[in-house]
Amino acid sequence: MSAHSPFAMSVTNAAGARAKRRRRLRDALTAFLFLSPALVFLAVFVYVPSVTAFALAFWHYHLGGANTTWAGWSNFTDAVTFNIFQQSLANTFYYAAMMVPAILILSVVIAVLINKASRYYTFIRTLVLLPYATPAVGTAIGWLWIFDPTYGLANGVLHALGLHPSMWLQSPRMAMPSIAIYSLWHGLGFDVVIVMSALASVPKGILEAASVDGAGSARRFFRITLPLISPTMFFITIVTTIGTLQSFAQVYALTGGSGGPEFATTTTLFLIYETAFIYNHFSYASAMAVILVLIILGFTLIQRWAGRRFVFYQ
Amino acid sequence: MEPRACTTESTRAHGEATTSSTAGNLTMPTVRESPSKKAIRLAKSLPRAVVALVIGMSFLLPLYIALVTSLDTRADVFQFPPHLTLDWQWSVYTRAWHMFRWAMYLGNTVLIAVVTIAIALITSILAAYALSFIEFRGREFVFTLILLVMMIPSEAHLIPNFVFLAFIHLLDTYAAQILPYGVSVFGIFLLRQFFLSLPKDYFEAARIEGCGHLQFLWSIALPMCRPILFTISLYIFIGSWNSLMWPLMVTQSHHVQPVEVALARFLNNNSVDWRRLSAASIFTTVPVIALFLFLQGYIIRGIARGEGIQG
Repeated sequence: MSAHSPFAMSVTNAAGARAKRRRRLRDALTAFLFLSPALVFLAVFVYVPSVTAFALAFWHYHLGGANTTWAGWSNFTDAVTFNIFQQSLANTFYYAAMMVPAILILSVVIAVLINKASRYYTFIRTLVLLPYATPAVGTAIGWLWIFDPTYGLANGVLHALGLHPSMWLQSPRMAMPSIAIYSLWHGLGFDVVIVMSALASVPKGILEAASVDGAGSARRFFRITLPLISPTMFFITIVTTIGTLQSFAQVYALTGGSGGPEFATTTTLFLIYETAFIYNHFSYASAMAVILVLIILGFTLIQRWAGRRFVFYQ
Repeated sequence: MEPRACTTESTRAHGEATTSSTAGNLTMPTVRESPSKKAIRLAKSLPRAVVALVIGMSFLLPLYIALVTSLDTRADVFQFPPHLTLDWQWSVYTRAWHMFRWAMYLGNTVLIAVVTIAIALITSILAAYALSFIEFRGREFVFTLILLVMMIPSEAHLIPNFVFLAFIHLLDTYAAQILPYGVSVFGIFLLRQFFLSLPKDYFEAARIEGCGHLQFLWSIALPMCRPILFTISLYIFIGSWNSLMWPLMVTQSHHVQPVEVALARFLNNNSVDWRRLSAASIFTTVPVIALFLFLQGYIIRGIARGEGIQG
């Protein structure tokens, strides 16, 4: 574009632009080639099936595709009026209502307790996190033994305390709380680690200043630390809620794949599993799955929305 | 705002302030403590240490109980109140081991995990590379599309995936247990974050030297992100070892089943013999526990990073 030799410049410019365009085209092609394996997998196993799930719920589909007929909303109306489905939702929310406060309180208490830079407390953290990496069926056996009404440790403790023994997993009233105890044991370490990493990010200067100004440790915790880690607490609330809505393995492992006694531990996902893969009602199960997915997405949206509005970020 | 609130309080809480500052700040290691002071400090930290130990042990207890039960003598198993000492009766392990083809199931689990890792690493590395080093139109859109996967709960595609695999006759195979996990979105996220943190000079210098994308990726970018690749692999491995619902759904033949599904069946078949059950649960779970104990640093790093994803 300079005034000195317009002719020569325009020639090199054109050549440069062509080279640039060719490079950009080649880059786009490379990007496409690099991205396509991942996108093909995601398309086949996530994007397309997530849409088909809705379609499936509006048909009466039988494996193989023969005799498929239009169902309209009937799968949905059948599901919401089905008493076991209603109970499964109630069970699931009951479970979430036990898990969320327990996780919130215990994870903060344990994290604050072991949040010290020493080999000893690192070792304790290892013990707390260990169950998180273990499989449900493999660890269920120890717990079945703990919950055994006749010989188990849980009743041994109650007995020692002079309390009445419980039937634990075999009583409809105590079965879901028993599973919640197992899940606390299994998952709490994850939340403790998250709270500990949040605690590490609280500026030391503020705490020291408050301490100099005479704030006791309880006051420092409730007035400084807790507000500063509130985004993490909110994150844990949502993630725990969503996680409990998707619980399956712990129910399967602790109830011998039954969801009993008397459907007391049948979570919604467990019912979906049974409906689809034991009774082969794929469309009916799809309708249930769509309802569950919409509930979960609701919580995800609450997280996005409320996370931006109400939680104090630094 | 907080410090100011505290200044107004400082007169009231004066006594506490002086004690806490002597305990916390003035006795720093530069000054040699007298033995009695050291003893006082130890005594003060003792309750916390004891409570922490009790909590730690209660997390270990259920695993320990399985060990106790597996090593019990027959008479000791049914004893109330239960006992926590080991009897060292190993014979039940050989009996439990010979009742099922555990070696095959363990082999299946490892095979499925390793192949899943290989595929997921390749797809995720390539995608993350394209999303961080190559400039093209729609890059942000593609990244958002990939992150969207983390918002879709797996229940959404559970049944259609089963129907699809039945349709292409892949049910009851290894492939059915591997292909749906062929991409790690978490991995793409972690790798992209790391690639973007690398100085652009590396990339430009390599390009000027005539280094192609694949060559740059293989010989410069990948060696630098080895720890991240390790974290991703570890997560896939543990996730694959512990997965239950999907293998329950897509497998029926024993010869393709992973160890967790076999263990669930073993549990239902032998529900009265606690010693055998415990022994089986121990030798199928110890590999994951060992992996965790050796590599927990990577797991903790993964949790801490993963938090940022949805937060």
